[in-house]
Amino acid sequence: MSTMTAGPAESTLAAADFDTLAGALTEPEALAGARAAAWERFTALPWPTKKSEEWRYTDLGKVGFEALTPVVPTPATAEALSADVREVLGRSGERAGVVVLREGRVAHLELEPEVARSGVVLSSIRDAADRHPEVLRRALLEAQPGPAEEKLWALHLALLGGGYFLYVPRGVEMPAPIHAFHIVERAGTLSSAHSFVYAESGARAAVIDEFLSDDLDAETVSLHGATITGEGDAGIEYVALQRFGRGVKRFSTQHVTAGRDARVVTFNVALGGDLSRADVTSRLDGPGSDSEMLALWFGDSDQHFDHHTLQHHAAPHAHSDLLFKGALTDAGSSVFRGLIRVDKGAQLTDAYQTNRNLLLSEGSHASALPNLEIEADDVRCSHGATIGQVEDGQLFYLMSRGLTRRQAERLLVFGFFDEVLGRLPMEGVRARVREAIEEKIGL
Amino acid sequence: MSEPLLSIRGLRAKVDGEDGEILRGVDLDVQRGEVHALMGPNGSGKSTLAKVIAGHPAYEVTAGEILFEGEDVLELEPDERSRAGIFLAFQYPAEIPGVSIANFLRTAVNSRLGEGEEMDVFGFQRTLTEKMEMLRMDPGFAARYVNDGFSGGEKKRNEILQMAVLRPALGVLDETDSGLDIDALKVVASGVNRLSEADEALGVLLITHYKRILNYIRPDRVHVMMAGRIAESGGASLADKLEAEGYDWLHRAVAAV
Repeated sequence: MSTMTAGPAESTLAAADFDTLAGALTEPEALAGARAAAWERFTALPWPTKKSEEWRYTDLGKVGFEALTPVVPTPATAEALSADVREVLGRSGERAGVVVLREGRVAHLELEPEVARSGVVLSSIRDAADRHPEVLRRALLEAQPGPAEEKLWALHLALLGGGYFLYVPRGVEMPAPIHAFHIVERAGTLSSAHSFVYAESGARAAVIDEFLSDDLDAETVSLHGATITGEGDAGIEYVALQRFGRGVKRFSTQHVTAGRDARVVTFNVALGGDLSRADVTSRLDGPGSDSEMLALWFGDSDQHFDHHTLQHHAAPHAHSDLLFKGALTDAGSSVFRGLIRVDKGAQLTDAYQTNRNLLLSEGSHASALPNLEIEADDVRCSHGATIGQVEDGQLFYLMSRGLTRRQAERLLVFGFFDEVLGRLPMEGVRARVREAIEEKIGL
Repeated sequence: MSEPLLSIRGLRAKVDGEDGEILRGVDLDVQRGEVHALMGPNGSGKSTLAKVIAGHPAYEVTAGEILFEGEDVLELEPDERSRAGIFLAFQYPAEIPGVSIANFLRTAVNSRLGEGEEMDVFGFQRTLTEKMEMLRMDPGFAARYVNDGFSGGEKKRNEILQMAVLRPALGVLDETDSGLDIDALKVVASGVNRLSEADEALGVLLITHYKRILNYIRPDRVHVMMAGRIAESGGASLADKLEAEGYDWLHRAVAAV
């Protein structure tokens, strides 16, 4: 039985004495061990600079990590939800369960009784560490990103405030998604949460991680990680819907593993925040596995969105298809950097990667860097990227029907995005994402 | 007589950035409730006139004026002209993949209404369904992407549908009849006629290369455009004469001037 701590102790990252932070916790060894090791790595590693290819367009030096207040991990406690949070909960559509995280800590968690009866487990990570320490340890190890991400990843694990663990047993099909709300309320904080999704063979799982905050008046950082694993013939639909307010900088590292004949769809939507980076890796681990990687972003003002992807084909006969589309206006900027890696034994790989960008203003800027690294000799791979503007003919047509230039441009952005939205299998999830995009773009 | 719905005086225009005027002094009046047919050979400037009326940014007006309900529209953006009541049915409508007809038209309707007065989804849907029935369109049409993969006939029908929903004061129909088989032509023509019946003040400028559509839409006036000017105007019988004798006699007449 874990002891409850009185409340979060606080200090800035620079002065943080990790032992004091972690000492306040009584954690299962699976978590405490990972946390201590991560802190050691974090202190040993240098911050990546703009000299590294992976961070060339996103300057981590401009993020004032040292001045942030880490939100210290506390045991999961049920908290009273604010009216704002209740309102958000009320808006979300059909779902199998809800998780509310505040600055990374699980404040509320519920699973439809019927879904629970079918064997689905939804718990805080802390509880999962108690009950399934091995699964958790393996999942964390698997999700280990490449060297360029290691510093942030170590910080994420060291400060992990909480997160949830969704486990769908063999052959069970969830009727609706789990909707997790990651809410950041306190300006100037550094917080971290992790999403674990594990589907056994033949299971079907769906999750929406929705990231929310007001506009915050001081630099605030939200770290997020996701480990998504589908065993043989599993089906997973995972959506990360980032709707932070201004002031928030967000870093998300997502790792997908698809087993034999498993099919995983990931969909990243970036709408809010000052800076939003997502590193998404799909590992095609079993023959016949299938990974669909989708993303949309719409940046205005001086927002900066950065997406890094890896389609890693480790098994033969697998298929991956990436379609990322972004639209920018004002002084918005974005980076797409994607790699298809095909291991030597991964013959008959079918892998595609497409990034399309639409620029609505002269001050906006998009960089697209698609790449291939192929060691097998019998594969079908293609990659491509485009950066363009709206077509004059379409613009005039819409304006000739009374739409202002702004309305016409925004409607064309919707049209541009539709191809990606249409690929989300679950209608309820699609509607939620569409609604969020409409709210951001406005018409 | 009250001021004309549309009054064009001495209009000269060229493609922006190029030499050589395409419109070389057009004079034309359309009264409320009238249907005017504008005919003429290829390259005479008919379609250019249509686009200039709608405010196409590729053209530069070098002289003259276009008054719509007494107001000079040359300084207005295309969207302002549309909201003022000018509608152009395009000869080659743009394709907008990813945007449904319903979504597009609802945005267009709401652009005419003040903030907070926007039409709700259901009210709009009723209007749209009614107009689609009038044009004998399949209800599934509204969910399709604007002109994306449409046949020629579907595109033209879609233009008239938009006109029916947006209810302009002036409809400029740029070769809406071209490329249509006789059945599609009849549907489009009857759609225009019904709009005229529903709104007695509706003015129509029907640009066409052929007389065929005038068998179904009876014009009050017929004009012939040659080399960027209105060379001849008359009643409906002028169309019959053009049908019988072609444009050669007019070419000779213009050359003689």
